[in-house]
Amino acid sequence: MTEAAASQTAMIEIIKVGKSYPPNVTALTDISVSIASGEIFFLIGRSGAGKTTLLKLLCNMEKPTNGLIEVAGMNIHQVTGNKLAKLRQRVGMAYQDFRLLTDRTVAENIAISMEVSYKKNQIIRNRVRSLLAQLQLEDKHDILTGDLSRGEQQRVAIARAVANSPALILVDEPTGNLDATSTEQVMELLIRCRNSGATIVIATHDEALYRHSTHRIMKLHNGRLDSLTRGDGQGQPNTAGATDDTGATGGSGDGI
Amino acid sequence: MNFWFSIFRQTGRNLRQTWTTQFMTCLTVSLSVLIFSFFYLIYLNILNAGNKVTDDLRLVVYLDEEPGPEMQKQLRLKISQFDQVQEIKFISREEAYSRFAEQLGDNRDVLTDMPTDFLPASIEVIPLKTLRSLSQIKLFSEYLATLPGSQKVQYGQNWVERFYYFTQLLSIVVLLSGVLLILTATFMVASTIRLTIFARQEELELLKLVGATNNYIRTPFLLEGILQGLIGSLLGLTSLYILFQWITRHFSGAGFLDLFTFTFFPPGIIATIILLSIVLCTAGSYTSMQKFLRI
Ligand SMILES: Nc1ncnc2c1ncn2[C@@H]1O[C@H](COP(=O)(O)OP(=O)(O)OP(=O)(O)O)[C@@H](O)[C@H]1O
Ligand SMILES: [Mg+2]
Repeated sequence: MTEAAASQTAMIEIIKVGKSYPPNVTALTDISVSIASGEIFFLIGRSGAGKTTLLKLLCNMEKPTNGLIEVAGMNIHQVTGNKLAKLRQRVGMAYQDFRLLTDRTVAENIAISMEVSYKKNQIIRNRVRSLLAQLQLEDKHDILTGDLSRGEQQRVAIARAVANSPALILVDEPTGNLDATSTEQVMELLIRCRNSGATIVIATHDEALYRHSTHRIMKLHNGRLDSLTRGDGQGQPNTAGATDDTGATGGSGDGI
Repeated sequence: MNFWFSIFRQTGRNLRQTWTTQFMTCLTVSLSVLIFSFFYLIYLNILNAGNKVTDDLRLVVYLDEEPGPEMQKQLRLKISQFDQVQEIKFISREEAYSRFAEQLGDNRDVLTDMPTDFLPASIEVIPLKTLRSLSQIKLFSEYLATLPGSQKVQYGQNWVERFYYFTQLLSIVVLLSGVLLILTATFMVASTIRLTIFARQEELELLKLVGATNNYIRTPFLLEGILQGLIGSLLGLTSLYILFQWITRHFSGAGFLDLFTFTFFPPGIIATIILLSIVLCTAGSYTSMQKFLRI
């Protein structure tokens, strides 16, 4: 019921957004979509379609060339200074290239997003342990992230993105290096975050992630919106499909 | 509270990661503080000694003849026409003789065969304390030379002149080393901070992305600047103090240093040097930070 109420309001409004990189690469053209609060939203498309670019716009790493992006009712590209910092604390992003500090331990990497919002040390420690447990990385607590395997690094990046309990979680290719079990653990973690109120946008190539779900799926092609569909929920329900039924229904009216 | 805890944690991390560069910078800062304060200390002590010496600066006008009371009055008038003076004293031939005899002490019997008036009469002029610059004293002595009956004017010209030029030279050295201090300290700290920023670019970018405020990123670097300034200047001043102790212990017997009672900086100046060095180092780190922090 909280979900139904939450999904009335749009978390993200993307209005006629275009992005081109100098000198003349057009990464996105005329994208419009609205994503409801509490929704899980899939972003798919071939390599180079513009998925990462769109996520970067959403977390204010890049500015759109034209169009408007609102997150939680704010035009994020007009925000500066401490307001921008506060906004970024509420948005967690797991980058495709991880961006881990390879000379710091796993625990330190995950803690960073909480440290910048001045969480208490005790809280940080507990949260790090709990996240590592959920991703079955307990034994890696004090390992330098540079020494981890790609799959482990990927999970640490996701743990860092969700650690500070942000309102918006952006995940770029979360399961590229993961086996089925780890993929499932990651999806469980994300759904848990969604259940406690977060909006989640996932960019992926991995059909297995969304095939059986009932979430909305936006397909990009050469930077244009190719299709906006809803997963049919067919096939044997995996974890993602099973835990989810409410989030999508409320958001159905929010399409373009 | 929590803010400062985080800031100190960040600063600790910075220092641990880049302590060699930080240490070198600290040494540079302390070296420039040492150089500057070394010259400044000498300058202050010389000025001090100079003040003591010029405290009994007097111009002596030797006269052809002993002036009578009327003449004395006129001379007095003429002298004070040029400038106010602290004291004018007429010294007769006999007085000059008895002074000289007194100075000779036990050897006064060499004078027994001399007439008591073989020394010329003179006027001793003690100028006001405000008349201190060499050019003024020169002008005054030239004026005194034009007095009627004046033979010669003496005030230890050579000595005063040399001393004057010496202090001039020293003040230039102090000024230059002061400028050097400012330049090296600021520049070194600025470039160290730039280096550490460069070394930690990745982390700082990430900090921005996860929503660290500008203060969260900037304050540790400012703290580093403050630390550089504080530790650097303390180190420099301490080594100067040790040097100072050594010099006074080893040379206190020698005659020429008896003239100066060598003193170290008073607390006010020490505090100023430390403060100045902190301000400069912080300014250096701030400028480096500003370039990086535009979001
Ligand atoms: N900084 C940049 N400068 C120039 N061109 C860029 C830049 N970033 C992305 N592009 C281009 O924009 C287009 C979209 O890139 P983007 O990274 O969004 O693709 P993607 O959908 O995430 O691909 P992948 O699935 O391989 O990660 C590509 O053609 C890419 O070359
Ligand atoms: Mg990508």
